[in-house]
Amino acid sequence: MEHSYIDEYSRIKSFIHNLEPRIKLISFFALIVSIIFTRPAAMPAFGAYAMLIFLLVFLSKIPLMLVLSRSFSVIPFILIMSIFIIFIKPGEPVWEFSLGIFKLSITNEGLAMFLNIAAKAYLCSLSMLLLMLSTNFLNLLKALEKLRVPSILIMIISFMYRYLFVLEDELMRMKRAKDSRTIAGSRWFHARALANMLGVLFVRAYERAEDVYLAMCARGFDGGIRTIYDYKLRIKDLCFLATAVSAVSIIKIYIG
Amino acid sequence: MHLPDGFLTPHIWIPAWLASLGGLSYCFRKASLALKDRMIPLMGVMSAFIFAAQMINFPVAGGTSGHLLGGVLAAVLLGPYAAAVVISVVLMVQCFIFQDGGLTALGANILNMSFAGALGGYMSYAFIRRFIKNSKGILIATAIASWLSIVLASLFCAMELACSGLLPLKAALTAMVLVHALIGIGEAVLTCLVVSFVLKVRPDLLYKPEGSGLASNSQSHKL
Repeated sequence: MEHSYIDEYSRIKSFIHNLEPRIKLISFFALIVSIIFTRPAAMPAFGAYAMLIFLLVFLSKIPLMLVLSRSFSVIPFILIMSIFIIFIKPGEPVWEFSLGIFKLSITNEGLAMFLNIAAKAYLCSLSMLLLMLSTNFLNLLKALEKLRVPSILIMIISFMYRYLFVLEDELMRMKRAKDSRTIAGSRWFHARALANMLGVLFVRAYERAEDVYLAMCARGFDGGIRTIYDYKLRIKDLCFLATAVSAVSIIKIYIG
Repeated sequence: MHLPDGFLTPHIWIPAWLASLGGLSYCFRKASLALKDRMIPLMGVMSAFIFAAQMINFPVAGGTSGHLLGGVLAAVLLGPYAAAVVISVVLMVQCFIFQDGGLTALGANILNMSFAGALGGYMSYAFIRRFIKNSKGILIATAIASWLSIVLASLFCAMELACSGLLPLKAALTAMVLVHALIGIGEAVLTCLVVSFVLKVRPDLLYKPEGSGLASNSQSHKL
């Protein structure tokens, strides 16, 4: 079956990929939070952040087109949720037109707020995307665990990651079988067939979870979790953290 | 309804993060009391199930399609606390891997969809179940609860947006709630169909509100 694999680009050898996962997480989170706290008036700051992020993309050797095409897929969501701010925010009108009884007016304040929000949302999702593309998901989870995220949550997420593709495969197989057998039929008939498929998937997933649990018990699972974390902090990582933090704070102090 | 970064102001998203962290740790404790050490594999596989279920597109009128959100489905099948855990885990994975919803807005998203949606929906489900006890009652309660869960989540979302100063409260409430009242009808129909199927083949898997923990404790027959 075909999947859009989560971390197919995480095995590239590059400076960004080789960073210690904890350091990478902290630097990217700092970047995201500092983008969020940009003052609305400081539009040039967004340009500076974008340049910083694309410098990181260049360092990570991930194809630029891939980053762009993946990141553009979030734009429709951002637009749907924020486009109406242009019309609703009261302020000095820039452009007015009337549609029958409705009168729409685009205001200066609305436009500024919209650009501010859209830029923040896009840049943050871009940084998150780069973090995910350059880090193996299981290493990311281990780093989160090292950063004191409760290990039960980490275990649940890593189980989810492990069985996600198994269940997806099962679902796609059922869907293909259904599609090849049902050609005609009303919309309601198809909806019912798909819902029954989900029901079957639930029952199978539940039974699989019990099988997994019994297998874990048979191998001596006692509720405790032990993981190996084979990363060490190197001078290189600390240098990256220092550079990242100072770059972000320079943007913050001088532009906003 | 996944809020991206940048939409909420800090005086909304920081309290939302704190509230959802507190709520999550409570739900984790409650769920692990009921499930004990089965919790990790069960919650992991069920999160993967909800995630996969959200990928199936159902045909709606005129060429459009929609998918299940699964908050009340998880709550009816697994119980309220386990459902809150499962939906939160799905939201976290969507935020990290698919950039669906922002990191700073994750707390608000968990608050909206996991607590207001799944837990709030389950409360109405349990309330209705108290009056109609038979299996028809399960379906009626599921339908109402899943419609309500979508509307409640959108209500929370609209209030957060309005408190962030993005929109006037009245406009945000009417727009969000009206749109999601329609989406909720689809969610109610789909959740009912799936629950009625499970009710037919494995009624023992449904969460029993009065009992402790999950319905089936032992390895039972295969389909």
